[in-house]
Amino acid sequence: MEKEKVYEKLNGIFRDVLDNETIHLTDETTARDIAEWDSVSHIDLVVTIEEEFGVSFSMQEVNELKNVGEMVQLLQQKIG
Amino acid sequence: MLNVYRYEQIDVGMSCDFQVEVTQDAKKMFAEISGDENPLHTDKNYATSNGFQDEVVYGMLTVSFFSRLVGMYLPGKYCILQKIETTFTNPVYVGDELTVSGTVSKKHDSVRRIVIDGVVSNQRGEKVCKAKISVGCLK
Repeated sequence: MEKEKVYEKLNGIFRDVLDNETIHLTDETTARDIAEWDSVSHIDLVVTIEEEFGVSFSMQEVNELKNVGEMVQLLQQKIG
Repeated sequence: MLNVYRYEQIDVGMSCDFQVEVTQDAKKMFAEISGDENPLHTDKNYATSNGFQDEVVYGMLTVSFFSRLVGMYLPGKYCILQKIETTFTNPVYVGDELTVSGTVSKKHDSVRRIVIDGVVSNQRGEKVCKAKISVGCLK
Protein backbone atom coordinates (compact mmCIF):
# COMPACT_ATOMS: atom_id res chain seq x y z
CA MET A 1 0.00 0.00 0.00
CA GLU A 2 1.31 3.46 -0.91
CA LYS A 3 2.40 5.72 1.91
CA GLU A 4 -0.29 8.27 1.06
CA LYS A 5 -3.01 5.61 1.25
CA VAL A 6 -1.71 4.42 4.61
CA TYR A 7 -1.76 7.98 5.90
CA GLU A 8 -5.29 8.55 4.60
CA LYS A 9 -6.60 5.47 6.39
CA LEU A 10 -4.56 6.13 9.54
CA ASN A 11 -5.73 9.73 9.71
CA GLY A 12 -9.35 8.54 9.63
CA ILE A 13 -8.68 6.04 12.43
CA PHE A 14 -7.05 8.70 14.61
CA ARG A 15 -9.91 11.16 14.02
CA ASP A 16 -12.50 8.51 14.82
CA VAL A 17 -10.84 6.98 17.89
CA LEU A 18 -9.73 10.30 19.38
CA ASP A 19 -12.95 12.08 18.33
CA ASN A 20 -11.04 15.02 16.85
CA GLU A 21 -11.74 15.98 13.24
CA THR A 22 -8.84 18.45 13.12
CA ILE A 23 -6.12 15.80 13.34
CA HIS A 24 -3.64 15.84 10.47
CA LEU A 25 -0.88 13.27 10.91
CA THR A 26 2.71 13.72 9.71
CA ASP A 27 5.85 11.60 10.09
CA GLU A 28 6.81 13.63 13.16
CA THR A 29 3.46 13.49 14.98
CA THR A 30 3.63 12.06 18.52
CA ALA A 31 1.24 11.83 21.47
CA ARG A 32 2.55 15.19 22.68
CA ASP A 33 0.97 16.87 19.65
CA ILE A 34 -2.59 15.60 20.22
CA ALA A 35 -4.32 16.33 23.54
CA GLU A 36 -6.71 13.36 23.25
CA TRP A 37 -3.86 10.86 22.70
CA ASP A 38 -3.50 9.52 26.28
CA SER A 39 -2.39 6.15 27.58
CA VAL A 40 -5.75 4.40 27.22
CA SER A 41 -6.58 5.95 23.85
CA HIS A 42 -3.12 4.82 22.71
CA ILE A 43 -4.22 1.24 23.38
CA ASP A 44 -7.51 1.91 21.55
CA LEU A 45 -5.51 3.25 18.59
CA VAL A 46 -3.20 0.23 18.39
CA VAL A 47 -6.13 -2.21 18.61
CA THR A 48 -8.14 -0.34 15.97
CA ILE A 49 -5.14 -0.04 13.63
CA GLU A 50 -4.54 -3.80 13.92
CA GLU A 51 -8.19 -4.54 13.15
CA GLU A 52 -8.59 -2.02 10.32
CA PHE A 53 -5.34 -2.93 8.54
CA GLY A 54 -5.67 -6.66 9.29
CA VAL A 55 -2.23 -6.91 10.93
CA SER A 56 -0.81 -7.93 14.29
CA PHE A 57 1.95 -6.17 16.17
CA SER A 58 4.19 -7.54 18.89
CA MET A 59 4.56 -5.69 22.18
CA GLN A 60 8.16 -4.89 21.27
CA GLU A 61 7.16 -3.38 17.94
CA VAL A 62 4.58 -1.15 19.59
CA ASN A 63 6.90 -0.12 22.41
CA GLU A 64 9.70 0.86 20.00
CA LEU A 65 7.58 3.24 17.92
CA LYS A 66 8.74 6.85 18.35
CA ASN A 67 6.31 8.68 16.09
CA VAL A 68 3.59 8.23 13.47
CA GLY A 69 6.18 7.96 10.69
CA GLU A 70 7.59 4.81 12.28
CA MET A 71 4.07 3.40 12.61
CA VAL A 72 3.48 4.02 8.91
CA GLN A 73 6.78 2.30 8.04
CA LEU A 74 5.86 -0.68 10.20
CA LEU A 75 2.42 -0.89 8.58
CA GLN A 76 3.95 -0.81 5.10
CA GLN A 77 6.30 -3.66 6.07
CA LYS A 78 3.36 -5.70 7.41
CA ILE A 79 0.97 -5.21 4.51
CA GLY A 80 3.54 -5.02 1.73
CA MET B 1 -11.29 -15.03 46.75
CA LEU B 2 -8.83 -13.08 44.65
CA ASN B 3 -7.78 -14.76 41.40
CA VAL B 4 -4.25 -14.12 40.11
CA TYR B 5 -4.47 -14.89 36.40
CA ARG B 6 -1.60 -13.58 34.28
CA TYR B 7 -2.27 -12.38 30.74
CA GLU B 8 -0.86 -15.57 29.21
CA GLN B 9 -3.21 -17.68 31.34
CA ILE B 10 -6.33 -15.99 29.99
CA ASP B 11 -8.03 -17.54 26.95
CA VAL B 12 -10.89 -16.34 24.79
CA GLY B 13 -14.03 -18.05 26.07
CA MET B 14 -12.99 -18.11 29.74
CA SER B 15 -15.84 -17.01 31.97
CA CYS B 16 -16.85 -16.50 35.56
CA ASP B 17 -19.91 -15.40 37.49
CA PHE B 18 -21.12 -14.62 40.98
CA GLN B 19 -24.38 -13.76 42.73
CA VAL B 20 -25.15 -10.69 44.76
CA GLU B 21 -28.29 -9.36 46.46
CA VAL B 22 -29.01 -5.66 46.15
CA THR B 23 -29.74 -4.37 49.64
CA GLN B 24 -31.33 -1.20 50.95
CA ASP B 25 -28.04 -0.46 52.74
CA ALA B 26 -26.06 -0.67 49.50
CA LYS B 27 -28.52 1.67 47.77
CA LYS B 28 -28.33 4.11 50.68
CA MET B 29 -24.52 4.02 50.73
CA PHE B 30 -24.38 4.62 46.98
CA ALA B 31 -26.64 7.67 47.42
CA GLU B 32 -24.25 9.03 50.03
CA ILE B 33 -21.13 8.33 47.96
CA SER B 34 -22.50 9.69 44.68
CA GLY B 35 -24.68 12.47 46.05
CA ASP B 36 -27.40 11.41 43.60
CA GLU B 37 -30.74 11.94 45.33
CA ASN B 38 -32.87 11.93 42.19
CA PRO B 39 -36.46 11.01 43.18
CA LEU B 40 -36.44 8.04 40.82
CA HIS B 41 -34.08 6.44 43.37
CA THR B 42 -35.40 7.97 46.60
CA ASP B 43 -39.17 8.60 46.26
CA LYS B 44 -41.40 5.55 45.80
CA ASN B 45 -44.43 7.64 44.78
CA TYR B 46 -42.45 9.43 42.10
CA ALA B 47 -40.97 6.13 40.82
CA THR B 48 -44.31 4.31 40.69
CA SER B 49 -46.10 7.25 39.09
CA ASN B 50 -43.52 7.00 36.30
CA GLY B 51 -44.21 3.34 35.61
CA PHE B 52 -41.70 1.61 37.88
CA GLN B 53 -42.71 -0.86 40.56
CA ASP B 54 -40.55 0.74 43.26
CA GLU B 55 -37.60 3.09 43.73
CA VAL B 56 -35.08 2.19 41.05
CA VAL B 57 -31.60 1.08 42.10
CA TYR B 58 -28.84 3.23 40.64
CA GLY B 59 -27.57 1.89 37.32
CA MET B 60 -24.07 2.83 38.36
CA LEU B 61 -24.44 0.67 41.48
CA THR B 62 -25.25 -2.29 39.23
CA VAL B 63 -22.26 -1.44 37.02
CA SER B 64 -20.02 -1.33 40.08
CA PHE B 65 -20.29 -5.12 40.29
CA PHE B 66 -18.26 -5.28 37.08
CA SER B 67 -15.42 -3.77 39.10
CA ARG B 68 -15.57 -6.83 41.36
CA LEU B 69 -15.85 -9.14 38.34
CA VAL B 70 -12.60 -7.99 36.78
CA GLY B 71 -10.72 -6.83 39.88
CA MET B 72 -11.32 -10.02 41.86
CA TYR B 73 -11.99 -12.81 39.39
CA LEU B 74 -11.19 -12.24 35.72
CA PRO B 75 -8.29 -11.54 35.56
CA GLY B 76 -8.18 -10.59 39.28
CA LYS B 77 -5.08 -9.24 40.99
CA TYR B 78 -3.24 -7.98 37.91
CA CYS B 79 -6.27 -6.21 36.42
CA ILE B 80 -6.19 -2.59 35.41
CA LEU B 81 -9.59 -1.38 34.26
CA GLN B 82 -9.42 0.71 31.09
CA LYS B 83 -12.91 1.12 29.70
CA ILE B 84 -16.53 0.07 30.22
CA GLU B 85 -19.23 0.64 27.61
CA THR B 86 -22.53 -0.24 29.24
CA THR B 87 -26.25 -0.37 28.49
CA PHE B 88 -29.09 -0.64 31.01
CA THR B 89 -31.83 -2.89 29.74
CA ASN B 90 -34.18 -3.36 32.73
CA PRO B 91 -34.68 -1.71 36.13
CA VAL B 92 -33.18 -3.16 39.31
CA TYR B 93 -34.96 -3.00 42.68
CA VAL B 94 -33.85 -3.54 46.28
CA GLY B 95 -34.07 -7.26 47.05
CA ASP B 96 -33.19 -8.38 43.54
CA GLU B 97 -30.75 -11.29 43.34
CA LEU B 98 -28.34 -10.48 40.57
CA THR B 99 -26.03 -12.79 38.66
CA VAL B 100 -22.96 -10.99 37.36
CA SER B 101 -21.09 -12.80 34.61
CA GLY B 102 -18.26 -12.14 32.21
CA THR B 103 -16.78 -13.97 29.24
CA VAL B 104 -13.50 -13.14 27.54
CA SER B 105 -14.32 -12.25 23.92
CA LYS B 106 -10.97 -10.88 22.68
CA LYS B 107 -7.29 -10.66 23.53
CA HIS B 108 -4.92 -8.07 22.07
CA ASP B 109 -1.38 -9.34 22.69
CA SER B 110 0.42 -6.21 21.49
CA VAL B 111 -1.10 -4.11 24.26
CA ARG B 112 -2.03 -6.89 26.72
CA ARG B 113 -5.69 -5.94 26.61
CA ILE B 114 -8.52 -8.35 27.39
CA VAL B 115 -12.08 -7.59 26.31
CA ILE B 116 -14.81 -9.11 28.47
CA ASP B 117 -18.50 -9.27 27.60
CA GLY B 118 -20.27 -8.59 30.89
CA VAL B 119 -23.90 -9.31 31.70
CA VAL B 120 -25.99 -8.76 34.82
CA SER B 121 -29.26 -10.70 35.10
CA ASN B 122 -31.91 -10.71 37.82
CA GLN B 123 -33.56 -13.66 39.60
CA ARG B 124 -36.10 -13.97 36.77
CA GLY B 125 -33.36 -14.34 34.20
CA GLU B 126 -33.95 -10.87 32.75
CA LYS B 127 -30.86 -9.05 31.55
CA VAL B 128 -30.63 -5.77 33.46
CA CYS B 129 -27.27 -4.55 32.23
CA LYS B 130 -24.68 -5.50 29.65
CA ALA B 131 -21.22 -4.15 29.07
CA LYS B 132 -18.09 -4.36 26.95
CA ILE B 133 -15.24 -4.21 29.46
CA SER B 134 -11.64 -3.56 28.43
CA VAL B 135 -8.94 -4.37 30.96
CA GLY B 136 -5.19 -4.48 30.91
CA CYS B 137 -3.04 -7.06 32.64
CA LEU B 138 -0.12 -5.78 34.71
CA LYS B 139 1.62 -9.19 34.52
